[in-house]
Amino acid sequence: MNGATSIVTTRAAMLGLNRRRIGLLAVLAIALVLPYIPPFTGEDYRRWLVGAAFMAAQAVAFDFTAGYINVVNFGFAAFVGLGGYTSGLLAVQLGVPPVIGMVVGAFAAGLVGLLTGALTLRLRGIYAAVMAWFVGLALMGIVRNVPEVTRGSLGLNVPSLLESAGNLPYYYVILGMLVVTFVVLALVIRSRFGLAFRAIGQNLAAARASGINPTRYLVVNFVLSCAFAGWLGGFYAHYYGILSPDVMLTSHTVEVLAVAYIGGRGSLWGAAVVAFPLTIAVELVKVQFSTLPGVHLVLYGILLILVMIFRPGGVAGLVQSAVRWWDGRRRPEVEASTAM
Amino acid sequence: MTAAATNLSRTPFLRRYMTFTGLTLAISAAIMVFEAFAQPSIVVNTLVTGGMWALMAAGLAMVFGVMNIPNFAHGELFLLGSFTAFTVFSPIRSALNDDPSLAWLKAFGPVPGMVIAVFVGAAAGLLLEALLFRPLRRRSREQWVMNTFLLTAGVSVAAVNGYRLTVGNDFHGIPAYWDVPPIDLFGVPVSVDRAVVLGIAIVTIGLFALFLQRTTLGRAIRAVAQDETGAQMAGIDLNRIFLLTMALSCAMAALAGASLLSLFPAHPDVGLQPLYTAWFVVILAGLGNVAGAVVGAFIVALLQNLTIFYVGVGWVDVLPTALIILILLFKPSGLFGSAVKGVWEQ
Amino acid sequence: MNNGRVLDVDGIQAGYDLLQVLWDVSLHVDEGEFVALLGPNGAGKTTTLRTIAGYLTPAEGQVSFRGRVITGAPAHLVSRLGLGYVSESLNLFPAMTVQENLLVGATTVRDKARVAETFDLVFELFPRLRERRDQLAGTLSGGERKMLAIGRGLMGSPSMLLVDEPSLGLAPMATLATFEALKSLRERGVTILLVEQNVNTTLRIVDRAYVLEQGRIVLQGTGEELLHNPHVQAAYLGI
Repeated sequence: MNGATSIVTTRAAMLGLNRRRIGLLAVLAIALVLPYIPPFTGEDYRRWLVGAAFMAAQAVAFDFTAGYINVVNFGFAAFVGLGGYTSGLLAVQLGVPPVIGMVVGAFAAGLVGLLTGALTLRLRGIYAAVMAWFVGLALMGIVRNVPEVTRGSLGLNVPSLLESAGNLPYYYVILGMLVVTFVVLALVIRSRFGLAFRAIGQNLAAARASGINPTRYLVVNFVLSCAFAGWLGGFYAHYYGILSPDVMLTSHTVEVLAVAYIGGRGSLWGAAVVAFPLTIAVELVKVQFSTLPGVHLVLYGILLILVMIFRPGGVAGLVQSAVRWWDGRRRPEVEASTAM
Repeated sequence: MTAAATNLSRTPFLRRYMTFTGLTLAISAAIMVFEAFAQPSIVVNTLVTGGMWALMAAGLAMVFGVMNIPNFAHGELFLLGSFTAFTVFSPIRSALNDDPSLAWLKAFGPVPGMVIAVFVGAAAGLLLEALLFRPLRRRSREQWVMNTFLLTAGVSVAAVNGYRLTVGNDFHGIPAYWDVPPIDLFGVPVSVDRAVVLGIAIVTIGLFALFLQRTTLGRAIRAVAQDETGAQMAGIDLNRIFLLTMALSCAMAALAGASLLSLFPAHPDVGLQPLYTAWFVVILAGLGNVAGAVVGAFIVALLQNLTIFYVGVGWVDVLPTALIILILLFKPSGLFGSAVKGVWEQ
Repeated sequence: MNNGRVLDVDGIQAGYDLLQVLWDVSLHVDEGEFVALLGPNGAGKTTTLRTIAGYLTPAEGQVSFRGRVITGAPAHLVSRLGLGYVSESLNLFPAMTVQENLLVGATTVRDKARVAETFDLVFELFPRLRERRDQLAGTLSGGERKMLAIGRGLMGSPSMLLVDEPSLGLAPMATLATFEALKSLRERGVTILLVEQNVNTTLRIVDRAYVLEQGRIVLQGTGEELLHNPHVQAAYLGI
């Protein structure tokens, strides 16, 4: 009786085309053509798109720890900055090409992440969050205090990633980096690691009792997230062409975490998708009130508060419950049609 | 590789290595204290800033101990205190300066600003609990610590930038509350402002300790920290204790901000250093340990003042952080921490 | 009709999330009575007490205490009305001294003389607590901790006490001492509802008892009656 639908669903499954993937591919398609659709054809809008994709990728990497192992990396921006400075300094001092420098930056961030994680992740989550914050503050302090190397607050001029001055090629580069970040982390989540992450995030004691060595998984997760942060930081450095210690400010971490939580923690895609409209909207607000600094941070702060209190699932949670509602409404019809 | 890193703590090698490092740390600590006494100004600065960090950290520790909230917006209460004190004190100061017949009142000029700052801080604490924490608590207490941490991070960012938007990026400060020649303390000239700040810290912490130890309400707060259900069995209304705890903690932070106005002028980012210093202290002392936070505040102040004196102001975040990370290697739950969750007691 | 009815539980249905534990449980306790609620592990005894004490709101049914409906009232208010609760896990304040624990128990009592009086009563019932007065609660032995929990429950001068499994984890001698204390409390006019698994001893000291099985009251009667009830004998007394 249900033969027709089950064959269709199995074939879709064989192609790996479940609804989520179709949805994500559609979003990716939109993201690919977006810079050719007015008003995104303008350089300002394209610059915002680069910023949005950069934010999306950061939020995905952030959500990988916050949403799955329930550890908030409060020094996230510092890891982004560490990757940026590593790559930038390699390029400035030794002439290392940015593409290689970015990978080295990822390793540097991952290494500091390993040290931080190995020391703090066996403690309660809040210790790890605060210690990561301290490490971030210390990193920022170091960058500020060795102007002979980093030029400190004056800012470090970094060679560009691409020859082109336009934003369009950069957009496709960062979009590609977003896709890589998302796919790699989503694959990790789908592996046996993902199951362990969730188990640990939800109940550390129970996970330990069931034979998982939690610290090991926590550290793996944390290091991966930090490494991606460092890699993305390299893009930031070679895109904007100037680095200052302010990249590492805690308020940037809060921006990323606000996007991740508004998108929906523990979903990866929620953060990735929501970053676009959110970043563009914030840029538009900034244009409207250009004399007022920090207006976007007020918005992010208030949105974060509202999400935490009223919609802990974020946008992803809303979409999921909408889908569930839609399925519940439609199922009787489906059964009726197959019965015929 | 990661497994090795995490299992190291169980190997004898690391333990031996850690003992060695521990000894080094202890010797360095002794040298530091000696150095400090060789430089009396360091002692005085440590006492003054340590007293204020103690006000900040004790409140932060209490809120964590009683409500399980790691308050990331604690520095914004410092900002609120300093801005309130500035707003109240400025007109008073000019009035006193304009009218010579009021000169005898000058010594008391700063008092209204500080008192009002305390009340404004307490009111902000009540609002935070009533408008944010209570609704969240009612919805779910799942992952409470992390959720409230993020919630207060949102509050902090919104408050700092809201202040920036409305008040602006300027520094609102005063040269001194008391425009009189410095007094002599241990042979070091100390401004009256700093001496008073130290006095305020000592008196406030003393009163706070007495309140927690000797009064029914103070005992009720400690009871809630140790066992909420047990406290309810004794007829204690948790919601009222939470309100009181937030009000007290925020009032102390605001008082710190108001007292230090001449050293830390009101500015959107003025709460940042007090915030992370208070967090250094609380992590060092053990989360939720109020007495430890008071002691830890002076240790951190000593570290900071030594760093400023011998290394440079810029390193004031870097070196204490490195040391705290080292200390946490040995004592993951903090210097005075233990498994028992509770306020005041270790 | 309500002469001396202290506690009246009427048809409560309660549980946790999707799991219903109590099915139409009704029971009552009269002034000065010593009543036990017996039953095997997982029958819902603790859930019943938690519902009465205000830690759990029943889906249906009503709890009244001295004629006042207290269904869904917050736990601290129930306690202030004079309905004390000594939980199975005791919920002591481990980092406070014995004396401080007792003082917290008297938080809502304004009358200083009254507090001093209850102190004397508690120390009279449990002389060990007087010896351990300045010791931290976290360092007490199991039996002493039970005494302290009951003592703290008494400090609020309740007219009725709910006591959850005081014999749990205690040596026979300590169990006996606890039961003796409860008995002498009853003699002082405190109404008691006791949850127990130790059926034999309990039925010998209480006035009446209810038997709870799988969330339902299956039997009730005086201690004497139940001691001779074939079901009780077979299931609980091993006769």
